[in-house]
Amino acid sequence: MSIKRLASILTKEYRHIFREPRTLWMVFLSPAFVLITLSMVFTSGAGQIELALWDQDHTTLSRQFISTLTSDADFSVTRVSDYEQIGSSLTSRHVDAGIVIPPGFASTVQAGGTAPIQVILDGVDTSVAGRASSSLLGHAADFGAQLSKQYLVPPPPIRIKQQSAYLPPAADRDSMVSGLIPIVFSLPVIAAALALARERERGTLETLVATPVRSLEYLGGKLIAYVTASLVGLVPVWLTASVLFGVPFRGSPILLVVLTADFLMASVGLAIVIGNLVKSQQAATVLSLFVFFVPAFFLSGLSDPIDTTDLVSTLVSYIMPTTHFVTICRALFLKGATLIELWRPSLMLLGLSTVWTLLGALSFRKRIA
Amino acid sequence: MIEHISRIFGLAVKEFQQLSRDKLLLAFLILGPLLELLLMGSLSGGGIKNLPLAVIDQDRTSSSRHLIAKLDRTDELRVEAYGSTVDEARQWMQEGDIAAIAVVPRGYGQALTNPTDGAEVQIIADGSNQIVSTVALGTAEDVAAQIRQDLSAFRSSASQGPIDLRFVARFNAAMEDQPHSITAMLGMIVFEVALVVAAQSIAREREMGTLEQLRVTPLARLDLMIGKTLPTLVIGMADFLLMMGVAVLWFDIPVRGSLLLLTFLTVPFVLAQIGWGTLISLISRTQQQAMLFVFALAMVEVAFSGFLVPAGDMPGVMQAISYISSVQHYLVIIRGVTLRGAGLGLLWMPGTALAGIALVLMALAWLRLRLGLDSDSLRRRLLTAWRQTQSRWRESVCRKRRGNRRPKQPEWHREPA
Repeated sequence: MSIKRLASILTKEYRHIFREPRTLWMVFLSPAFVLITLSMVFTSGAGQIELALWDQDHTTLSRQFISTLTSDADFSVTRVSDYEQIGSSLTSRHVDAGIVIPPGFASTVQAGGTAPIQVILDGVDTSVAGRASSSLLGHAADFGAQLSKQYLVPPPPIRIKQQSAYLPPAADRDSMVSGLIPIVFSLPVIAAALALARERERGTLETLVATPVRSLEYLGGKLIAYVTASLVGLVPVWLTASVLFGVPFRGSPILLVVLTADFLMASVGLAIVIGNLVKSQQAATVLSLFVFFVPAFFLSGLSDPIDTTDLVSTLVSYIMPTTHFVTICRALFLKGATLIELWRPSLMLLGLSTVWTLLGALSFRKRIA
Repeated sequence: MIEHISRIFGLAVKEFQQLSRDKLLLAFLILGPLLELLLMGSLSGGGIKNLPLAVIDQDRTSSSRHLIAKLDRTDELRVEAYGSTVDEARQWMQEGDIAAIAVVPRGYGQALTNPTDGAEVQIIADGSNQIVSTVALGTAEDVAAQIRQDLSAFRSSASQGPIDLRFVARFNAAMEDQPHSITAMLGMIVFEVALVVAAQSIAREREMGTLEQLRVTPLARLDLMIGKTLPTLVIGMADFLLMMGVAVLWFDIPVRGSLLLLTFLTVPFVLAQIGWGTLISLISRTQQQAMLFVFALAMVEVAFSGFLVPAGDMPGVMQAISYISSVQHYLVIIRGVTLRGAGLGLLWMPGTALAGIALVLMALAWLRLRLGLDSDSLRRRLLTAWRQTQSRWRESVCRKRRGNRRPKQPEWHREPA
């Protein structure tokens, strides 16, 4: 291991990055750019639920019920007049749910009975259906409590009083923006995988074989170049999150930088393994898409929390550096956690960065096939 | 015409040969999507399970314990901790250890049996994650409905209250998460494979310098584009059909509509990605740049696809932009055909949108190809075009001014005369 040779590889890699303005932009600024676009999609509140409503009763009471639904902008109601229309507007995604108020609704309630109302949910998007049903239940319970007083109907034996504990008002967006930071960093990381595959594809690795550069120096140069370059990209990402989207930062800045470097080490190590495995840049791109892209959205705990009781899915998500860094970013930005509180994900990241860089070094052969 | 076809065919054959030479790449392109769908499909999409719940039992009766046991027994919730005050439990929620709090007030057991009163249980859900809070509240409502039913079964006086909402779920009666996430993954994988293959195909020729060789062959620009498009289209469609097979046979995704229609509508979706890919490979000089563009585009498409946030929940401007996202339209189509059983009559809107996007992107790529391949010549062309318009404008302005002056000039001339 010679520092001089490592430094010369490092200079070469930096020159590759700096030579082309487009590559430079892509490595330094694209994470911030992607974070902006991804985060713009989130609003602080949930949108309206579209309802198709068929009122077969046409009484004051049924109209009162409808007006409680529309009173607080949770629902927007479209009137329909048969099941066909409800079915076709559900199929074409114009509404999220359909409601049918049967004839005799008012007379049943006034007689002290229980009046049924049918709700037809779109079972495909379960999160929208769940939101629609819980919101409808809440509105119906409020209206029901009002009616039981008015018409002396006995109230239901058990009611659920719903409350959402919004920590600050824009908590949903804050937690999403901070959770997306690890994902946008996959861009410069994959550039490292391609940098490695490029040398093999273009045959410049052969030239390197003829030089006294050792494989460890070569890999170390690549690793350091891409980790440091991506680390500089943290500044625009941080500014985007804190200034543009106003996400509070409650933790220690030094800890974030250190853990980001650790995360980048682990990811670039994984990228090096990919780059060693394939022969062409095209194959490297395809493989990185499968390894970094789809799992990052579906398995990292970004939107659905990881089900820790299922062993296989826990294992797969835990070997991805992104999973741990999502936890760390959220905790550092929103909760102001310290290293002691974050010992578990930090230790996992440290282990992963060791394992992946080691595997990268082991899988590399400075040899011509 | 026949010459063109044979040239296109020749280029397509060359592309396939190049692909088949790299066995690993071919394996990734054909088997990768299948494995990815199988793995990710079985790992995720099981819905949200075992959310940690904190319980504050102020009643401490057998009925309150019965309620807590019922909450614990659901798939979605798991009693993680018992607290004594709401503030303490809120602290736990702040630390991220629990997702919801159930507060059983004092006198719950008595109120449950009292016909004129009724008991109330409070559920506080973590609002920082919309999905988590929805699931927690929904599960608690289900448990309450069960208890209501149990009570009315053995005590006829117990009423359901004045209003009883009866839920039916269309298309997916069990409200499983899997069909939703499998279709999303299928769309995204077809999207990324088509995009990568198309984006790298020209960028590769360019980086290796073989594009110049192609340009001196009698291959016309349109031939080049079509010849490069065909192999990608074949791979994209093959991946789509294979993954549909996995989705239907392995994951039991129903196909209620016509599979033929879905296949037919997948073509413009793949073509749109080829358009993006060709455009990307024409503006990037190396494959690394092309790849970074691909990833940036893929992330933006995911953002607008309605996977992270349903399109209806986005802010207005973003909602408008989301109509350009081909993934969003395609997810509507694939869910429409497979799960909702929609026909062309209900899907013509996203279908036309997809075809429009594909057409516009292809046209842009063709235009970019016409303008010259290296960015220097593009810059020069744009500059000359700009200068031409500038001089034309200047000329017309001058003429207008001259035209304004002309009637005056004779007057000036006349006066001294």
